[in-house]
Amino acid sequence: MTDRSLVSVVDDDESVRESLPDLLRQFGFAAEAFSSAEAFLASDVVAETSCLLLDVAMPGMSGPDLQQELTRRRQQIPIVFITAHGDSTVRPRLLARGAVECLLKPFSEAALLDAVGAALRGPYSPAARAT
Amino acid sequence: MTTQHVTLEVGWTGLHPAAIDLTNIFDAVEVPIVVVQRDSTVVGFNSAAVDVLGLSPTDTSRRLRDVAALAPLPSLEHQCREVITAGVPSRADFRDGDTWFVVRMSPYAGSDGEVAGTVLTFTNVTAFRATMDQAIYERECTKAILNTVAEPLVVLSGDQRIQSANRAFYTLFGVSRDETQGASLYELGNRAFDLAPLRRQLRKLLAGSRRLQPVEVDQVATTEGQRILVLDARPLSFPGHSERRVLVTFEDITVRKQAEAAKDLRSEEELRRSEAFLAEGQRLSLTGSFSWKVATDEITWSEELYRIYELEVGVPVTLDLIRTRVHPEDVSLIEKMKMVEQLPDGGDDFEWQYRLLMPDQSIKYMHAVAHAIRDHTDQLEYIAVVQDVTARRRSEEALAKARSELAKVSRAMSLGVLTASIAHEVNQPLSGIITNAGTCLRMLDGDTPDVEGARETARRIIRDGNRASDVITRLRALYSKEELTLERLDLNEVARQVIALSLSDLQRNRVVLQSQLGEDLPLITGDRIQLQQVILNLLRNACDAMAEVRDRPRDLVIRAEREGGDRVRLSVRDAGVGIDCESMNKLLDAFYTTKSDGMGIGLSVSRSIIERHGGRLWAERHEGPGATFSFSIPIDPEGP
Repeated sequence: MTDRSLVSVVDDDESVRESLPDLLRQFGFAAEAFSSAEAFLASDVVAETSCLLLDVAMPGMSGPDLQQELTRRRQQIPIVFITAHGDSTVRPRLLARGAVECLLKPFSEAALLDAVGAALRGPYSPAARAT
Repeated sequence: MTTQHVTLEVGWTGLHPAAIDLTNIFDAVEVPIVVVQRDSTVVGFNSAAVDVLGLSPTDTSRRLRDVAALAPLPSLEHQCREVITAGVPSRADFRDGDTWFVVRMSPYAGSDGEVAGTVLTFTNVTAFRATMDQAIYERECTKAILNTVAEPLVVLSGDQRIQSANRAFYTLFGVSRDETQGASLYELGNRAFDLAPLRRQLRKLLAGSRRLQPVEVDQVATTEGQRILVLDARPLSFPGHSERRVLVTFEDITVRKQAEAAKDLRSEEELRRSEAFLAEGQRLSLTGSFSWKVATDEITWSEELYRIYELEVGVPVTLDLIRTRVHPEDVSLIEKMKMVEQLPDGGDDFEWQYRLLMPDQSIKYMHAVAHAIRDHTDQLEYIAVVQDVTARRRSEEALAKARSELAKVSRAMSLGVLTASIAHEVNQPLSGIITNAGTCLRMLDGDTPDVEGARETARRIIRDGNRASDVITRLRALYSKEELTLERLDLNEVARQVIALSLSDLQRNRVVLQSQLGEDLPLITGDRIQLQQVILNLLRNACDAMAEVRDRPRDLVIRAEREGGDRVRLSVRDAGVGIDCESMNKLLDAFYTTKSDGMGIGLSVSRSIIERHGGRLWAERHEGPGATFSFSIPIDPEGP
């Protein structure tokens, strides 16, 4: 099980927290879901997380807030944002701030796989960190 | 008679028969007569002396002072002696109880020619004396009254000289009675009264004319300084006196005159100032005013109106002159105002907008309010104010443009916000559905299908589908929730508010609005905002219907009136393209439109609003171009 990359999902929407980890597991990833940024930070999986699927707008700490906090803590986790606010202006902004990808809900399986794959291969991926 | 004879026999025994006749005459006289000798003894008396004075027969030969009946007059004997000594008659007053006598003492001569004695006659003057007393009393009273009167009075004799006057007269002119008695009136008061008209009038009055036209005389020198007096006079005539006199009165009107002069000065000043205010106010507010008598075309303009029309102040204003300035498209208004004469109720109040086309081709926008009145000959006259609203129009146009752009932006904005919100709400469950569906498929694929897992994810799909559907239901509920807010409304007022809001819009579209809002409409119960939306929609439609009209004025009439006993009606009449038969039926259906850019919702929404008010909305064709849209609402609706 240890060789399976851990993908953590942080979203205040319950249906996402229910459905997304199951699908990720079907793809062969390990998956954990958190209902808020604070809950994720308080967990013991921060260091193990290879890819973070992060909602943008949440009560309390927002997605970008968490991204900033992780940078401050020098936890370089590749982040894929997921948002239901289908605003085309959001994506470039988030990419410019270092996100691997930004998926607009509802997104397809293929888009999800591409994004997670890119995250795991990227400069902050576990593979890159290992070298 | 017996007594007399006895007396006479005692006094004059052995008299000649002629003497006896004389004594009979004496006795026949009712005036008491007593004859006294030089030695003051009574020689004889007639019977009246006995009857009236109460002398007794034994008084003969008695000394006068011993006659009891004459005791109240003790000096009588002495006076008789003086008469005898001096040989001239004398008189004395004698009172016997309530009776007054005048006693005349006349000497008589004896046969030797010497004064032999005195004849005393007693004349009863009681009645005369009472009359005299009364007359004196009356005179004193009159004098007291005259002297109390504050108004100077003077009586002039026939030659216009001062006969008598009251105290106020003497005081005013600082003269005494003695000084002025018989003096000429004209010498008084520094000869201020020496005026030909006054002399002439007084002469006429003395000659028999009955009244004098009061004469105002100023600069009369008096003890109170220079005064202004009004002289009045009336003739006095006395029975038995042939001379006519005049009573002259003097009224001091100095104070009143001064007050009047001050007031005149003040009101003149006030008038001048208020005129100046008005002119300045008109100048500052670019507002002129005019009156127009329709029948005679008599037009009066204020100065500012001349300036606004750029005409020389004071040139006679005619309709032709006005036509040279009014924009050709707006000239029809003038004719319309004349037409008011033929309206059944005659006269009306107007508010209208029109343009002036100046010689340099620039355009001025005018806002006029006219009030039609009927003068005493029932002729129509307009009183109107006209304001040059060009500057305001320009800024309003700019503002309206900015506003409509802003509205467009904000509409787009709010639509964007709404869309985003809907998208978010729907995307969340959609996202779940897609993800779950993917998971479900994967669970069923493969060598060992996870049927239980697939079932679970399928349930989630159903749940998320319901969730998306709930969002739509909620949205629909949110936007269809419109309750009526009921209040008591005057349809006139509701319409006026809409007109105020739409004026600039109407003007931009060159629409000439005439509002005929009835004065005393009964109130209705309804939702102000919704009814305003309906009226706004009708105005908007009317405007749009006339957008292509070029060959006639774009007249729009909004009218509110009673309909029957229990409804009020508001109608909007345009001069637009009108409605054809086919359109007429579908007009009120939702999504039916004759406009290229219309949604076709306005009239159907309007109709549903009116129906919720218990009323109805309809369209009709009328004579001439255009259409009329009306709605009527019960005065007392049964409720929405």
